[in-house]
Amino acid sequence: MGQFVQFTLNGLLAGTIYALIAVGIVSVYKATRVVNFAHGYMIMFGAYFYYTFAVLLPGLELMPSWLAKWEPDWLIAARENAPMFSPMGAVLDWVSNLPRIIFGITGAVIACAILGRMIERMLMRPMIGQSSFAMIMITVGLISVLSGAKGLIWTADAAFVPHIAPNAPVRFELFGNPVFLFGADLANAAIAVILFTAIVLWVRYSKGGVAIRATAEDQQTAYSMGISVPAVFGRAWVLAAATGAIAGAILATRNGVSPSLGLFGFSVLAIVLMGGLDSYVGVFIAALMVGFLEAMAQWQLGGEWAEVVPYIAVLIVILIRPHGLLGQKEVERI
Amino acid sequence: MINGNLKATYAADEQVLNNAYKRAFVYGMALLCAALPFVANDYIILVAAQMGIILIAVVGVNVVIGYTGLLSLGHAAFIAIGAYSIPILHTLFASLGVPEGIMPFLAIPLAVAISALVGIVVGLPSLRVKGLYLAVATLSANFIVIFLIELDAMAPYTGGFNGINTPEANLLGWQLDTQREMFALIAALAFVTILGVQNLFRTRVGRAFIAIRERDYSAEVLGISLLRYKLLSFAISAACCGLAGALFAYFYARILPEQFELVLSLQLVAALIVGGMGRTMGPVFGVIIVVMVPELLKYSFGIIAGGSADVAALRAPVQEIVFGALIIIFLMFEPLGITQIVDRGFRSLNRWPFARG
Amino acid sequence: MLEVRNLHLSFGGIKALQGVSFTARAGEITGVIGPNGAGKTSLFNAMSGFYTPDSGQVLFDGNDITRLAPDARAALGIARTFQNIALFRGMTVLDNIKLGGHTRLKTDVWSALRYFGAAQREEIAYREEIEERVIDFLEIDHIRKLPITMLPYGLQKRVELGRALAMQPKVLLLDEPVAGMNREETGDMARFILDVQQEFGTTILLVEHDMHMVMDICSHVVVLNFGHQIAEGTPAEVSANPAVIEAYLGTAV
Repeated sequence: MGQFVQFTLNGLLAGTIYALIAVGIVSVYKATRVVNFAHGYMIMFGAYFYYTFAVLLPGLELMPSWLAKWEPDWLIAARENAPMFSPMGAVLDWVSNLPRIIFGITGAVIACAILGRMIERMLMRPMIGQSSFAMIMITVGLISVLSGAKGLIWTADAAFVPHIAPNAPVRFELFGNPVFLFGADLANAAIAVILFTAIVLWVRYSKGGVAIRATAEDQQTAYSMGISVPAVFGRAWVLAAATGAIAGAILATRNGVSPSLGLFGFSVLAIVLMGGLDSYVGVFIAALMVGFLEAMAQWQLGGEWAEVVPYIAVLIVILIRPHGLLGQKEVERI
Repeated sequence: MINGNLKATYAADEQVLNNAYKRAFVYGMALLCAALPFVANDYIILVAAQMGIILIAVVGVNVVIGYTGLLSLGHAAFIAIGAYSIPILHTLFASLGVPEGIMPFLAIPLAVAISALVGIVVGLPSLRVKGLYLAVATLSANFIVIFLIELDAMAPYTGGFNGINTPEANLLGWQLDTQREMFALIAALAFVTILGVQNLFRTRVGRAFIAIRERDYSAEVLGISLLRYKLLSFAISAACCGLAGALFAYFYARILPEQFELVLSLQLVAALIVGGMGRTMGPVFGVIIVVMVPELLKYSFGIIAGGSADVAALRAPVQEIVFGALIIIFLMFEPLGITQIVDRGFRSLNRWPFARG
Repeated sequence: MLEVRNLHLSFGGIKALQGVSFTARAGEITGVIGPNGAGKTSLFNAMSGFYTPDSGQVLFDGNDITRLAPDARAALGIARTFQNIALFRGMTVLDNIKLGGHTRLKTDVWSALRYFGAAQREEIAYREEIEERVIDFLEIDHIRKLPITMLPYGLQKRVELGRALAMQPKVLLLDEPVAGMNREETGDMARFILDVQQEFGTTILLVEHDMHMVMDICSHVVVLNFGHQIAEGTPAEVSANPAVIEAYLGTAV
């Protein structure tokens, strides 16, 4: 039972990260009816951008030393007083990394947003009005391009990137079971949920969000009502890329920076389809579900099983509910 | 359409090779493939055999993506199934006492049948959701198949991560132990596959596939059962990939699970898009490009790098970028692929000097 | 021949059909008319199997086909055309028409893969048949090798009729066969529809806005308004019916 609670919590925390990745795919799909198969590789770029801005650049000679390691006198003093491996120590470590974390996240979000914008501008916008098949296949081609470009730009695999939040161990009891979690995981999940909620609210209530929804409903009508469809497309891509950058940074701290981060895109694609493609809520539920199932698979069957869970789950869910958990059946006019 | 290509009977009009260009091209290719084992050097044979194997797979992918309009991104899974069937079936046959000389005659059709069966299972829900579902389902199938091959529990049969040694084909005592001999088999089967698939599209079966691609509700109104024909299309394409896999296993001495990952699926799709979707010659042109690109890169990097390991390490990423860029560029500027370019060329050749284009 | 009994169909709160009943008699041309939104196309979709009615029956030769899938209905011999042309745009005229014969041809996958032999004989015999029965009949022999996208609207409508004819249907459902056509094209189409009825004895049911054409060629007319069947009878009876006049012209003040 104790194990079960522990694994469940781990799974749900991982699930929130999937949801954050999924929000990028869903937003682009909602606005443009294009499923971005290369989203995982944009996330991988986010992770590498975070690595670049948080580790590589601060490490350069010409950068001020506080960027790499911020050590004001009070921090040094406080650290000397703190006992080894205490939560306080972890917080102090985090504070001294804070400048480069902020620099890294900002840099990653901006760089990724520029990347997303470029993809939209150069590859997607010329295809407006063409079949969505062609646009989807372009994102498939993008998989190869991004994966290869990564190999050209970052030749070495990175080792360590700073955690976004203090990585203090957290122990508490839940239903009488001892639970052990890492502070960074909790903070990551919180970031993911907050961002997810913010985007859903934005799409639902803001003017820009309404434009996205109108475009999703009917491109031509939206266009003729004075909504700039290309602008909507651009916004959706930038939004996806920016959330992807944060998701990438989080994944980088959890799983290390490596090309295999691109594969997360495919498992999240499975999650998105499971949830219903255009339903944020459905996708969120699916993400938590897959996180939970992965944790269970890891617990009962071993780590290697966890990676196929989303793929098996999507096949089963689609067989039972073809349009996903909360997806809408498209009504066809004949 | 080429002008001045008139026919007197409907039978003549129904011919596929209905003009001199097409006839010259096909017979020329056949002649070239027949001559190749006798005249070409080992390197050319190796490249040509690789082309043949991938060609068979791309012809299959063309049936499902090009003709039926169902997006699939996981066809490498079926190649893997075909390839792994061979060593497993050979071990099984050996234990049953089947003579070695007839093993390939049983193993190849069985490998093809197993792939087709798995194809039907994967394609089964494609009726319920259009478009994307199948892309994600096949992608998932690709991951699951590789996972199962690598699974420890399967390692006694598949060799797990480390791969497995594959047997040589022995056709009634003729041991195909050189790549040259294998090439002859591959070329023959590639011709048969293209011919078979081309034939499909001269009859109601192939027309039904195209009808589903173009407009599925109006296909239904003509009495075409979507379920049956989508599954049929999927089974045929998986069968072609299974055949390619079986030949892959016979051709190489060892197969590894990593050879059948997503990269291969994307290569198949790239070949199809570059060559031309939904056209008989599309896979042929596409495969030539897709196999030649790595070879050309290898060659040019050999010249540039001159032995420098740093530069040579950039070849793999450059190759990936080129594949991706080919997909994107063709989709944006010539969605009908090289076939269309060739058609245009023939058309203007035919009209010259009276008109251009 | 083809009969609907007390058909009800709704989408959410919208009641598209409320108790429609009539019979398309064998060998005759029956017209369904009504203002926009009267439920004419919904009726056709229910008859060809795209919509399942909430209640009521569709009968073909006395058999209940209400729950049959569209492709099964096609196999029984029910062909239809669509209001906004549903041809296969990437294919040539000839290939489109060839598709009509799908259910009548026998070639299976195995003989298709071999082609030479039975499949080839069947294909060539079929080609000769549609050349005579469809292409010459509809006078479209000059365009048989052209892709659909290159054809003007009126010819596309004719090709769609040709595709339906290649099915050798017992019943032909035509959804607005002359919509958007000029007077001359309308005249041509009306002539072809009459020819089909006389030459092949096909039962025809057509939905149309063009009152003149309906009154000219139909022997029996059904009038729908807001999903209700408001009149039925010969063209003369229907055009004298006060309910019909009201639906089309509004009430006199």
